[in-house]
Amino acid sequence: MNKIIKSVIFMAGVLASVSAFSADYPTKNIRLIVPFGAGGGTDSVARAIANSAKDILGTSISVMNRTGGSGAVGMSYGAQQRGDGYTLTVVTREIASLPQMGLMQNDVNDFKLIRMINLDPAVVLVNKDSPFNNINDLITEAKAHPGEVKFASTAAPNFYLMALEKNQGIKLNAIPYNGSSEAIPSVLGGHTAVTMVTPGEAISQLRSGQLKALGVMSKKRISYIPNVPTLIEQGVNVTTGTWRGIAAPKSTPDKIIKTLGKAFDQAMASDNFKHFMTKGAMTIHNMNAVEFTQFVKDDTKSLSTLIQ
Amino acid sequence: MIDYLLGGLGAAFSLSIFPVLVFGVLGGIILGALPGLTATMGVAILLPFTFGMAPIAAMVMLIGVYIGGIYGGSIAAILLKTPGTPASAASVLDGYALTLKGEAARALSISVVASFIGGLISTIVLIAIAPMLAKFALRFSAPEYFALALFGLTIIASVSSNNILKGLLAGTIGLLVSTVGLDPITSVPRFTFGIMDLYNGINVIPVLIGLFAISEALNQLENLNLKTKVAEKFNSKLMSLKDLKNILPTTIKSALLGTSIGAVPGAGADISAFVCYNEAKRASKNPEEFGNGSIKGLAAAESGNNGVTGGSLVPLLTLGVPGDAVSAVLLGALIVQGLTPGPLLFTQNPEIVYGIFSSMLVANIVMLLIGLFGIRFFCQITKVPKLLMIPIIIFLSIVGAYAINNSMFDVGIAIVFGVLGFILGKLKIPTSPILLAIILGPMAETNLRRSLLMYDGSWSFLYERPIALAFIAMAIFSLWSTIRRNKKG
Repeated sequence: MNKIIKSVIFMAGVLASVSAFSADYPTKNIRLIVPFGAGGGTDSVARAIANSAKDILGTSISVMNRTGGSGAVGMSYGAQQRGDGYTLTVVTREIASLPQMGLMQNDVNDFKLIRMINLDPAVVLVNKDSPFNNINDLITEAKAHPGEVKFASTAAPNFYLMALEKNQGIKLNAIPYNGSSEAIPSVLGGHTAVTMVTPGEAISQLRSGQLKALGVMSKKRISYIPNVPTLIEQGVNVTTGTWRGIAAPKSTPDKIIKTLGKAFDQAMASDNFKHFMTKGAMTIHNMNAVEFTQFVKDDTKSLSTLIQ
Repeated sequence: MIDYLLGGLGAAFSLSIFPVLVFGVLGGIILGALPGLTATMGVAILLPFTFGMAPIAAMVMLIGVYIGGIYGGSIAAILLKTPGTPASAASVLDGYALTLKGEAARALSISVVASFIGGLISTIVLIAIAPMLAKFALRFSAPEYFALALFGLTIIASVSSNNILKGLLAGTIGLLVSTVGLDPITSVPRFTFGIMDLYNGINVIPVLIGLFAISEALNQLENLNLKTKVAEKFNSKLMSLKDLKNILPTTIKSALLGTSIGAVPGAGADISAFVCYNEAKRASKNPEEFGNGSIKGLAAAESGNNGVTGGSLVPLLTLGVPGDAVSAVLLGALIVQGLTPGPLLFTQNPEIVYGIFSSMLVANIVMLLIGLFGIRFFCQITKVPKLLMIPIIIFLSIVGAYAINNSMFDVGIAIVFGVLGFILGKLKIPTSPILLAIILGPMAETNLRRSLLMYDGSWSFLYERPIALAFIAMAIFSLWSTIRRNKKG
């Protein structure tokens, strides 16, 4: 018995010294913090990218869900971890909005951003029997009856809607739901007139024709719903959507950020990940650390005009 | 349709699929039995592994975990008063009472048989009338959800055994706790004291672990000696045919109720178990047995929570929207396989739809067999000295509270509610109303306020909408019958 214990201690010592002196990274498991619950959209993208990146990095990546406060809890937790490259965090658009609303202590400056993974525009959706056939029908109705068109909001406040409202000087009756899985049935059942979600969240209803898309809020049309015109094409100059990326705590060495960046580039280009995203009607949008950081700064600014 | 179903059954029993199914069900039972680990987690963790699998095998495994997970929660609820999931909290009421009487084996066999019947009927209803159920579910808007939650809250009166006032007190504590967090409509923080972990409100699972497992462990610590075992008496007799005859009507009714509740997105197995328990007690000629080891009460809760499994697939398969967290993962699994959940699935990939149906039938049978064979092993727990069992329960409780969200904060919540539950127990104040109020409080509040937004501040939705009106009438009837019963007793 004593022998076993001694040899275990010896082995542990050897392993510890190896990891302490080795310049290589990574030498142990990486933890990926997901600020939303298991089973949701952000979680499934995180698990898919982790699945593809683990072979490239040659270490396992375990997903850790840390939910609460619309992502604030998990992202703040991630920002406060040791910057050794073994704790990464999935950051979402909430990192640009929540700190401005006073609902999150940490913000994007507490992170080094590594890569943007995906960027999805919002789509304006109505029931198949709705009298609205394009975005201007909706705007005309909202202008004639301010505050009366019922909008199924996936979150409160809803920045997709606020962008349209501000641009057009209209007001809808926003009824907050818990995400797209509650907002979509509300429109299907005719309890609310319109909602805005990402294409992936409504792809089943779009394909089966239960929901009608009035327009997509991106600069160009998107491949999953090629027949749906953009709002810009219809003369309404509004684009909005949501994004996800991967970040590490501020104190992480640049060398590790680079290694990880390259690994995630490869992971995003892998067939497995591309397959996953295509099937889910989500758009891979690889942005490097510099571009991503600038993008988040710009998005934070554009959100601040909506929040104030 | 029959062809597809037979084809699906053939596939479910094939060599490449059946082991996956058994693995799923067994894994689900184990996950469900451990407090803090849920079927949702199991399904989400397994999801990436299904990417490379054939669509049928992937769905079969995930559905196995789902069905096993809902049942598994009850094993610990019955034997140790430690419900593995909120869905099995209602099973504690009578299941643990039976264990204390030495009838653990009988309780476990009733539990698995009722779960099996519940799951089976719910699957058959799903196969037969899914599109009709979906139409019914789509009629649910905020006013209907509010009225359903209101009806659910009246169950507090019926689970507070003989002192309604104390039950209401507990319910009020639960409702107060449920107001913590960001306001659901305006996102203004309430009672959060600047603590970010409280922004999403208090998670129901650590509360469940605290109120049931930890408080019970503390309670047991009081009269502890080296010799006491988990249950002093033990009879290895399973349920009798007479038992089966006794519970069958309640079980079938609960299965149908559970299926309907499951079909409505947002109302799940936890609510269903309590609603079915309440209905069984209301309909019973001997309501005083409930809470003291009524096999009907146990069967109603068990059939009610497994009845949800078929129902929750209704919105998924017919509308393409998930009815609960587990079906959200199933939705993702289908989409990754290149399938489109929703009405198109029936016309484009009927083999998948019927593959899912038949694997649900087979998964329920596998669950029944594992459950029945397992009873002898599960029951060994009752022979473990309490001195060993209590630290194990506390250890598992803390690990479980941590695991649900990887958060020490939730461990703190579990401990606080453990102490609270212990104190309330001393004052003979029932704890299940707290849990019920925490589950239903946010549903009632959010939907009341949504309704008021939809109706521009008018309260007319309370009487203008037939389904809402029906629930409100049921709520009043439920209160009235409880009060009348209490006057008699």
